[in-house]
Amino acid sequence: MSKTFDRFAGIAFLLIGLLFVLESRKISKSSYGSEVGPDIFPIGLGILLILLSARLIYETFRYQMLQGETEKIQYGKFIVLFVSAGLYAALLEPLGYVITTFSFLLIAFQTMERGKWIQSLVIASLFSFGVYYLFAEFLGGSLPGFPVF
Amino acid sequence: MSTLQFLMDGFGVAFQWQNILFAFVGVLIGTAVGVLPGIGPMSGVALLIPVTATLTAGLPPEAAAASSIILLAGVYYGAMYGGSTTSILLNTPGESSSVVTTLDGYQMARQGRAGAALSIAAIGSFVAGIISLIGLVLLAKPLSNVALQFGPAEYFSLMLLGLAAVSGLAGKSMTKALMMTVFGLIIGTIGIDAVSGIARFTYDLPILYSGLEFLTIAVGLFALGEVFKTVLERDHEAGAIAKVGRILPSRQDLKDSTTPILRGSFLGFFIGVLPGAGATLASFFSYITEKKFSKTPEKFGNGAIAGVAGPESANNAASGGALIPLLTLGIPGSGTTAILMGALIMYNIQPGPLLFNDHPEVAWGLIASMFVGNLMLLVLNMPLVKVFAKIIQTPKKYLLPIIIAISFFGVYAVQYTTFDLYLLLACGVLGYMLVRNDFPVAPLVLALVLGPMIENNMRRALTISNGDFSIFATKPISLVLLIVAAAWLLVPLLLKFKGRAIIVNEED
Repeated sequence: MSKTFDRFAGIAFLLIGLLFVLESRKISKSSYGSEVGPDIFPIGLGILLILLSARLIYETFRYQMLQGETEKIQYGKFIVLFVSAGLYAALLEPLGYVITTFSFLLIAFQTMERGKWIQSLVIASLFSFGVYYLFAEFLGGSLPGFPVF
Repeated sequence: MSTLQFLMDGFGVAFQWQNILFAFVGVLIGTAVGVLPGIGPMSGVALLIPVTATLTAGLPPEAAAASSIILLAGVYYGAMYGGSTTSILLNTPGESSSVVTTLDGYQMARQGRAGAALSIAAIGSFVAGIISLIGLVLLAKPLSNVALQFGPAEYFSLMLLGLAAVSGLAGKSMTKALMMTVFGLIIGTIGIDAVSGIARFTYDLPILYSGLEFLTIAVGLFALGEVFKTVLERDHEAGAIAKVGRILPSRQDLKDSTTPILRGSFLGFFIGVLPGAGATLASFFSYITEKKFSKTPEKFGNGAIAGVAGPESANNAASGGALIPLLTLGIPGSGTTAILMGALIMYNIQPGPLLFNDHPEVAWGLIASMFVGNLMLLVLNMPLVKVFAKIIQTPKKYLLPIIIAISFFGVYAVQYTTFDLYLLLACGVLGYMLVRNDFPVAPLVLALVLGPMIENNMRRALTISNGDFSIFATKPISLVLLIVAAAWLLVPLLLKFKGRAIIVNEED
């Protein structure tokens, strides 16, 4: 728990609430004769969110921070993992499921812990081929399997 | 037809070979999910929705829904069994509802009675599972008959009560919990409005017309959030695992734990029925109760078997009880049941009072399969507990990337869009940051599921009353529900104001 995060989150959610209120006003009025159009619910919620966020920001000035020991955060591993997951998502359609899954798993396994290459290779290929064949061939699902050239 | 007849038909569904298989796979995975620290029942169920959706793709819609909900519910209650294993053997709870089990369970393991503790936990869970199922069978019909009288105004207030209960009990700060609830409701309005057909907040992006997919958000927030947390923070390896030893409990153990099991079952069941109060709270209450009733309270914390039997029964009974509001009223009372509800809606099956009339195959099939599943769990957990204890040793190196890969597969196989994969990753980061800073994510998911229903009922009620908001206060049932909802939020605030400590429900 951190005061800075709470404040930042309070401001962010306040802006989200404001955005929804403002954008709701642009929604065209309902056509079927009811007085309750599609804009009432989001406007109400937006206002609520603004009020709650304001309350949270106010609270951050009130409480005392208990600074417990913070665990060491390993950004390195996470960033590599996150970027490769992003690439996995981006390349899934052009390159197909098997190749991207295999490479993602191999990179992720080695990022988590170096070594045991053979085991990593075996597990990554078992998973990527296994899931693809089970799903696409056996269950008749649809996945982009391999790149289409 | 009588309830018994329906139940028999339910067994007919549950005993179809594919459903026995589904129940078995569900409880097996559930036990594994419970054993693995880091994956709770919520992320376990969320991860498996897409997998079951593809497994059941060939079946007719109703049978597919029955089969997948049988599997998913199996994961849910199976996790309650598995959670005790790590608490007892490792002093690390596999999920939050087994936290109290560590107090006496681990002490028993250190005294060489791990086997007895594990088997009592399994027996207690089984008894509790059966008791809560009988409660479910007895209450299902009457409750859904009551709910059939509800109009849109009553429904609106009831759902508000559900949200209030979950927000009032979730996490340390109620402001944050309420913010998460409102945020969930707000993002639920993205997409085409079901009543008027007008697109809201879509900015002409076709991908947003159908709204943000609940499944993607749930998997991202829970499963990926948990994975990211483990990657970023937890590096330390688990400690030594205690020896299991003799599995069968002694006659004295059985005698000592009979009453706690029964008491825990009933207590857990009723706590589970209440929205917002889940398995975690049930196990805490049961522990406190057992300590109070015990002739030898000083033994608690030093390996009292009642301290394992009670809470473990209570958390299982609560998971059964939690299905009652979901199935009969269509209101999930916890994060996990919200996800189960999302799964049912995916199959176009609306939980609620009409479920038992419209889809008896699904409702009673699920109930009957839970009898079968609990029996399977008892068999699985007694002799195979040593095998499950091995699962704890699955290296994180392989486990975490594979969870990411399964999430990707699941989301893509159901949605077929890359957009959802990016959304998944974003929700993972968001989930990690929110949970780390005490923003509970369960209310968010619950609100996302309930949001469209709340809005539709609100607008239907307001259309009936010509836009007069007093309709919610003039209908007596609706008024009572609103008052209870308000009390749920205000009472903890008042208690806090007076300086009393309040028990909050951790995510479960």
